[in-house]
Amino acid sequence: MKLAIDETRCKGCNLCTKVCPYKIFSEGKRLNRKGIALPELDRPERCANCRLQKLYGRQLCGVCQLTCPDQAIHWIDEEPYELHKVAIEY
Amino acid sequence: MTRTEFWQGNTACAEGALAAGCNFFGGYPITPSTEVAEHMAAKLPKRGGVFIQMEDEIAGIASIIGAAWTGARAMTATSGPGLSLMMENIGFAAMTETPCVVINVQRGGPSTGQPTMSAQGDMMQVRFGSQGDYAIIALCPATVQEMFELTVKAFNLADKYRVPVFLMADETIGHMREKVIVPDTVERVNRKPLVPGTLPFKADADLVPGFPQFGKGHHVHVTGLTHDERGYPAATNPKLHANLVQRLVDKIENARNDMADYDVINPGASRVFIAYGAPVRTVQQVMYDLNDTDIGFLRLRMVWPFPEKALAEFKNAKAFFIPEMNLGQMAREIERHIKLPVISIPKIGGELHTPADLISTLEAHP
Amino acid sequence: MSYEDWYRQDRLPHIFCAGCGNGTIINCTLAAIEQMDWKKEDTVFVSGIGCSSRAPGYILTDSLHTTHGRAIAFATGVKMANPDLHVVVFTGDGDMAAIGGNHFIHACRRNIDLTVICMNNQIYGMTGGQGSPTTPKGCLSSTTPFGCAETPFDLCELATAAGANYVSRWTSYHVKELEKAVKVGLETPGFSFIEALVQCPTAFGRRNKFRQVADHVEYLRSHSLLKAKRDRMLENGEHIPEDMYIVGEITRRKRPAMGVKP
Repeated sequence: MKLAIDETRCKGCNLCTKVCPYKIFSEGKRLNRKGIALPELDRPERCANCRLQKLYGRQLCGVCQLTCPDQAIHWIDEEPYELHKVAIEY
Repeated sequence: MTRTEFWQGNTACAEGALAAGCNFFGGYPITPSTEVAEHMAAKLPKRGGVFIQMEDEIAGIASIIGAAWTGARAMTATSGPGLSLMMENIGFAAMTETPCVVINVQRGGPSTGQPTMSAQGDMMQVRFGSQGDYAIIALCPATVQEMFELTVKAFNLADKYRVPVFLMADETIGHMREKVIVPDTVERVNRKPLVPGTLPFKADADLVPGFPQFGKGHHVHVTGLTHDERGYPAATNPKLHANLVQRLVDKIENARNDMADYDVINPGASRVFIAYGAPVRTVQQVMYDLNDTDIGFLRLRMVWPFPEKALAEFKNAKAFFIPEMNLGQMAREIERHIKLPVISIPKIGGELHTPADLISTLEAHP
Repeated sequence: MSYEDWYRQDRLPHIFCAGCGNGTIINCTLAAIEQMDWKKEDTVFVSGIGCSSRAPGYILTDSLHTTHGRAIAFATGVKMANPDLHVVVFTGDGDMAAIGGNHFIHACRRNIDLTVICMNNQIYGMTGGQGSPTTPKGCLSSTTPFGCAETPFDLCELATAAGANYVSRWTSYHVKELEKAVKVGLETPGFSFIEALVQCPTAFGRRNKFRQVADHVEYLRSHSLLKAKRDRMLENGEHIPEDMYIVGEITRRKRPAMGVKP
């Protein structure tokens, strides 16, 4: 699974940067065509749902998706699925 | 088969609703319409319907609109002050094309006025009370028998045209007891259902869209905002708003001659009474007393939309006399439709016109 | 299948301002409904007027967007006429506590089987930031330019006193807790009331020193006090600061309810 931000929906409120336990989202710098700075993703493969949804067969964490007021965050399937080596700092 | 009953007007109205298949009543007590609610409270639950006494008239009409969207034949009953409270949601029902029936047993106004006296002061409010342009249907019974029959008719018109329909009774008719001949079955016109796959607010040739009942998988969004044919809000689109409001008015006004309901007596007469509701009874007495074929009578059962073709039936008419229990509300509407003299005979205070009132006006206009 | 399937994808993005918490509350509600195994055709969303009340227009079910304050009255009609339908009401603080206050307390009294989710942004957002019945004392709005002088409503206490079966309060920060609270509300027969405090950056935050959305959310987080902790503090005779929002499950009981599916 892979984290994706829908550029047509994101309004740049940056709430996702506050709620992700892994601090994957950070405030964006580059403005897009609508004048909105989309959040940037820092090593999104660390996301618990990206790594483990297939394994557990259910949605994990998902706080960013629930919090996103603009329904802009979702996960897309990677084709073909690749295993990532992930280092997680505690 | 029929049976004969001796009923109060309000009881006849509630029985008419039950005969028409009314299965939801939401209302708030107000003199002089309480007997309708009381009768429904006693009878509806036994027939599998729902009676609920709401916290005010606003909630009363809100609940029946909600119920109507689940497919119920829904009704409320009130009087003038309650109708004033309901106005915003009546506009909502007109905008969202919700079929529902409102019984208004009129009393003297303005404000609290004369709760136990008769009046016809809500005739303009019922047509124009809510903001913006819209059209509704209003029926006026003059006998207890008509309280029964016109209530049935109100449900059928509401379902056919998807519009709020008003039964504009008055305290006199509501509290009068008379013989009623009750048929075993009554005619029922059901709502045209939405054809699956079509847009929920796209009107057919008769300007009435199919009804997308809740719980049937239509996923319809109903909003009082200006909406497109999908039902989605589009409040800033001037053309769409103009078309929508024009259609809401046209679907009723274009059908005015089809649904018109009136009696013409002595069409060759030169002086013609026009009456609706309780003053009909005084005019009938005058017609009987004078026994003059030169005096005509147009008896309206449907007041809104106003059946203007009825005026043309009196080919030799020279003047129209309009006895009303208000200060000439419908007389002004009739003046709009005809070039001849229109003589208003207003009477407020809560009592009916006496035959002498009408005869003296006739004598003053020979 | 996820709760995203409940959105009318053709209508997104919605009209809420950047950073508005209403979208979060819709997410949490739909996530709870998704767990309930309800069918879309059996679910009806009802709302009144205001920012919060635009929510049903983005949800792919039958939905009724009604007049100001009357959502609960309309929902009563829907639920009583067809108890098989699941009826959820989205409302706001101005819609429900001001103009619709009477309908609210009477629906609680009747204990009718509705789930009411109140997005409390403590201001009238859609009309441009006027003070509402829940604007905290001293807060600025366009109609309280010198600070709100009135005491705000505690909606949860009001619902409890009026007789609702389930009452809880969370904020737009507590998404998982809110989701669970909504689910309990949906499961509870009778009137369920969930108050969700939301940030309003455009109308409230701008005037009240929350220039950044995150600052307001952080304020809601840091000024939330769990009901259990509040009760403990009361027992120990500790002082409870007045500006704290009591969050958590406030009431759960089994009064007889109306309109429950037979």
